[in-house]
Amino acid sequence: MIVVGAGSTGSATAHDLALRGVRVTVIERGEVAFGTTGRNHCLLHSGGRYCVTDQESAIECIEENMILRKIMPDLLELNDGLFVAITEADLAFKERFLEGCAASHIPARDISLQHALAMEPFLNPKVLAAVQVPDGVFEPFRFCLAFLATARANGAVVRTYSEVTDLLCSGKNVTGVKIKDHRTGRNETLHADLIVNAAGPWAGEIAAKAGVSVPEIPTAGVMVALDCRLNNMVLNRLNKPSDGDIVVPQRATSVIGTTSWAVEDPDLITIPPEHVDRMISQGEQLMPAVKKVPMRAKMAVARPLIAKGGTDARDVSRTFECFDHERDGMNGFVTIAGGKTTTARAMAEKVADIVCRKLDIATACRTRDTLLVSYRLFFQQPDPRNGSSMTRGRDRSFQGSATNEHA
Amino acid sequence: MNMLKVPLQIFRYKPDQPPRYDTFTVEVPDTAHVIDAIDAAWAVHDQSLTFRRACHHSSCGSCAFRINGVEKLPCVTRVTDVWDGLTPLRLEPLRNFPIVSDLVVDVSDFFQRMSAADMTITCEAEAFLPFTVDSFAVAELEPKVVELPENFSRFNRFEQCIECGICMSACPTMAADERFLGPAGLAAIYQARNKTDDPKKVAHLLGLADGEHGVWRCHSAFECTEACPQAVDPAGKIMALRRELIARRFSKLFGK
Repeated sequence: MIVVGAGSTGSATAHDLALRGVRVTVIERGEVAFGTTGRNHCLLHSGGRYCVTDQESAIECIEENMILRKIMPDLLELNDGLFVAITEADLAFKERFLEGCAASHIPARDISLQHALAMEPFLNPKVLAAVQVPDGVFEPFRFCLAFLATARANGAVVRTYSEVTDLLCSGKNVTGVKIKDHRTGRNETLHADLIVNAAGPWAGEIAAKAGVSVPEIPTAGVMVALDCRLNNMVLNRLNKPSDGDIVVPQRATSVIGTTSWAVEDPDLITIPPEHVDRMISQGEQLMPAVKKVPMRAKMAVARPLIAKGGTDARDVSRTFECFDHERDGMNGFVTIAGGKTTTARAMAEKVADIVCRKLDIATACRTRDTLLVSYRLFFQQPDPRNGSSMTRGRDRSFQGSATNEHA
Repeated sequence: MNMLKVPLQIFRYKPDQPPRYDTFTVEVPDTAHVIDAIDAAWAVHDQSLTFRRACHHSSCGSCAFRINGVEKLPCVTRVTDVWDGLTPLRLEPLRNFPIVSDLVVDVSDFFQRMSAADMTITCEAEAFLPFTVDSFAVAELEPKVVELPENFSRFNRFEQCIECGICMSACPTMAADERFLGPAGLAAIYQARNKTDDPKKVAHLLGLADGEHGVWRCHSAFECTEACPQAVDPAGKIMALRRELIARRFSKLFGK
């Protein structure tokens, strides 16, 4: 089988299939986590964010949160999260929030303001309520590396810097992919019994090569990373999801996010300066010190949200869906779309169940209890493409070599 | 927001072909970071250009390369901080690593060294708050630290080291000894050593540090500490390991 995309979904899918004994090859045009996953907010969702507006997503999140703690224990910052009320309107939301948490089985504790301020010295002192939930933080690059290192240990092949240029179609069947290996410049053809399209916001582009479509809206969001870590725990605004209502701490930074707008081309996103300003002003409401700290970085990336009627990007469900393109008249081709990194394992389980059923493979999913190997092994595992042609970059002067000009 | 037209002179290498430099002129906002400029070169001019990127905020460590000869994380380096407005910005892969393709280097040996130290990437929070890697004046923030309840468990966070390889590229000793554990490898040994009291583990880690490719190879140039984008201070950690090794030798000599 071939999996297109080495973001969180593709990586977890490769792991799931390899664990079931399926021969799987991952094709990725860039490095691991080159696209959406790399630039995500690093939030291991407790589900609190969605427990009122999108309970299906909330339940997925808390289930997966607990599973990831078991299978990648060394790859998570686990300090919980706080949902804090700053305004009366936020405070009025608290009851619904607590009910939503209970209905979604998210352990939530209404804690004293004194306790909240002791844990978070930069929290807005005007805070009116604080609810503690099991949010966490991951590191997206290593998240994917761990899944892929485990997949490789179980026989998967991972081809980075290889771009799908076309799908091989024979009548009503998709039978393989044409790829260009950007490391060698060579075009190659790979055959497969089935192709899983896990290309995130680029899934539509891949699906179009088989003449089918995916109801996905690439939706960009801006994040701002500060030059200093101001919070220990994830800080969320106690209200419906909106712009700039969450500050995720990670390593030595705090990242404020996000905005949300639909984009045409996920490769060409310009960060609107007013979005950056909005992140700072919204972040200040959670922690007034935000305005005193220099900005370390800003980034934007498109999320692959599934269209479900509504036109407002915030109303789109954050859950995921599998599209078996057999129903569009193309066999051997399945797209897994939507979702978020927290639920990548569940997405992988669902798509692997579907493709295994199609190919009469009876093995059950084992990813819930399988501890992942060290992410560091990913780069230590041999890449069959690496021959002896690599050169040592040390002390070489290429001053005299040819230079090409491109306008 | 003003737009800049930035010429990038990018090192190109593909296996079995002679290396060269390509120059692309990209248009980016004046607030852009170097990663945005190379993104533009890739998206607009040449999708065969290979480079690493993921987090865009100096957490993953994947994107490091040399900008005008100096090791940097392009995701947190502003174009206006490194470009003189005229000369093409020269982008080259890290030194002391085999080159895979263009700006992508082979990090397998490096990750093997990091694995040898067996440092977990999460640790207990060393300081409370705030927490920074720059010279940014934290004191101005005046955090009101309140006593935590007694039953409170400590916070945990990722290690400062993001395994970007910058220190390995900047280190002059790496060029003399290919198998030198290197600044990051030795700093990881130091961190791992401080996380354990298990005498067996400590002996193993100090044995690595004391070995042929360990701390005594270091020329104390401190280039690594200078280049590190995360204030890990590998050279300081190498010196600390040397002090512990010397102290242990003395106590052996005098039977303490």
